[in-house]
Amino acid sequence: MNPVETFEALQAARLALAQIGAPLQGIIAAAAIGLALVAILPQARRWRGLALGAAAALLLVGEAVLVWFHWRLWQIAQVVDPITGQVTGRVAVPLWVESEKLYVWALAVAILGVFVKTHRKELLSGIMLVTAVLMAGGALLGQPFTDPVPGFLGQYAGYLQAMQFGGQAAVGAFEGMEASRQFYYNAWYMWVHPPLLFFAYGCFAISFVATIQMIVARHSSFETTSYRWARLGYLPLTFGMLLGFPWAILAWSGESWWWSGKVNMSIMMWLLYTAYLHARLYLRRKGMWKLVAALSVLSFAILVMTYATTYLVPGAHSYAQGAPSAFAEVVLDAIGGGS
Amino acid sequence: MIVDDIRQRSWDFALTVLTVVLLGGLGVQSFLGTIYVWWAQTTIPNWEQFAYEGYVARMNAIAAPQLIALVVVMGLCVPKRLFSRTALIGVSAAMVAAGIVAWAVTGSLATGLTVYLGLAALIQLAVAALTALGAKGPSYLTEGRITKLGSALLHLGFIVFGIVVAALQRSAFMLPVFWASTVLMVGGTAMSFYASKLSVKRTRVVEPEESF
Repeated sequence: MNPVETFEALQAARLALAQIGAPLQGIIAAAAIGLALVAILPQARRWRGLALGAAAALLLVGEAVLVWFHWRLWQIAQVVDPITGQVTGRVAVPLWVESEKLYVWALAVAILGVFVKTHRKELLSGIMLVTAVLMAGGALLGQPFTDPVPGFLGQYAGYLQAMQFGGQAAVGAFEGMEASRQFYYNAWYMWVHPPLLFFAYGCFAISFVATIQMIVARHSSFETTSYRWARLGYLPLTFGMLLGFPWAILAWSGESWWWSGKVNMSIMMWLLYTAYLHARLYLRRKGMWKLVAALSVLSFAILVMTYATTYLVPGAHSYAQGAPSAFAEVVLDAIGGGS
Repeated sequence: MIVDDIRQRSWDFALTVLTVVLLGGLGVQSFLGTIYVWWAQTTIPNWEQFAYEGYVARMNAIAAPQLIALVVVMGLCVPKRLFSRTALIGVSAAMVAAGIVAWAVTGSLATGLTVYLGLAALIQLAVAALTALGAKGPSYLTEGRITKLGSALLHLGFIVFGIVVAALQRSAFMLPVFWASTVLMVGGTAMSFYASKLSVKRTRVVEPEESF
């Protein structure tokens, strides 16, 4: 492997993504505003279904572009052992990490929203508002097209730089990169756990909208709709979280990962949704619907906080420390291949 | 008979409330722990480097009694399906005693909990088998054999997962037992949630609609 050539190929892929993706990112941000307006304005009521479908289609186009970029990353990003010179493998960066998380969540809500049948008319504006917020966040905060997977690019650029210089630094960088490749990016778990959770988050967002509608309308039929979406989300949430257990024991061996902020909040979210689904068994008791509604709203609030924890509280799962994109720029310049 | 049924349901409700309280307690601890980590990380220099282990030890110490209580309550939830209320107290006390004896003999709390959970798993297995066979013995809050069987299996999975956490983390059996517990929990949950769709005699659940 030639580190400089590899870096240049990486940079070319990144530039190509930015050329296609920068305008798309702007269009998605603008579409989010449009979607919110259509959701709010009563005059635009008849266009709501169409607007949500168009938003889902737009996000799918963007996702196709990201799939292409990840495919190029897989082709380019080899990991080579500096001692033996042997290729240990390629890095398969999952489509739902770092800058792409909010985007995938927006995509999940938009697609699931298209398939809502029961109480469609009543729920559509709420689902559109949630989608609009996530779309805007995905495009403006995540910036998946103009600042893609900054953590990975930073680490891989650092590895390339170390490989260029050789010596003990190359061995250290290789060990870090290979560990990330095996236990994070290429781990089967990372290709199964996050999509299950984002599907669950999408279902919970719709369940939340139905609960709000129940509180506003004070009618039990919305509770049933809310419950049906919550139980659809609960299955992949439970499965996805359980999958994390053996992986955590292996990948975070020796660390007290169970008290990391994200794990704490995730467990609390699962407990709350479990409590919500259990409390519903006693819905016929006097005043119980208020508790069920409160649990549903609280569960979703904790879900949002769980997501935010990734960026605010350090620990396992966290992106809270350091500024990977700035770091990536420094390293990319240092290696001599900056644009 | 009706009085027994009402008592049974009150016992169910009490255990459910107790479980929710304990889960809530752990949830509050987790939340406060997360807030504390965020605060300490932003205000105390090198906090993670020097004080993180102390924080973990404190959190473990606070959580331990709650987790033990949760495991005990989880175990108590199992025989309630099978035994009358009088027998239930005896069976529950015997299970707890067996766990304490194992703890005292081996000096290991994990072993005590494993024995306790092992007994709970055996009873739950009997509950699941009786439910699958359509026996009238096990009592449930829910209706329908598939829903009940799903509930029995998911609770069995939860107990088995408890055994994995308490005893098998470093064992060669960890992965197969873990996968068994996962299949039981996810499969049982799916059966409970979608019993009407899984039933040979397809029924449409119509929930009564009303204004609150």
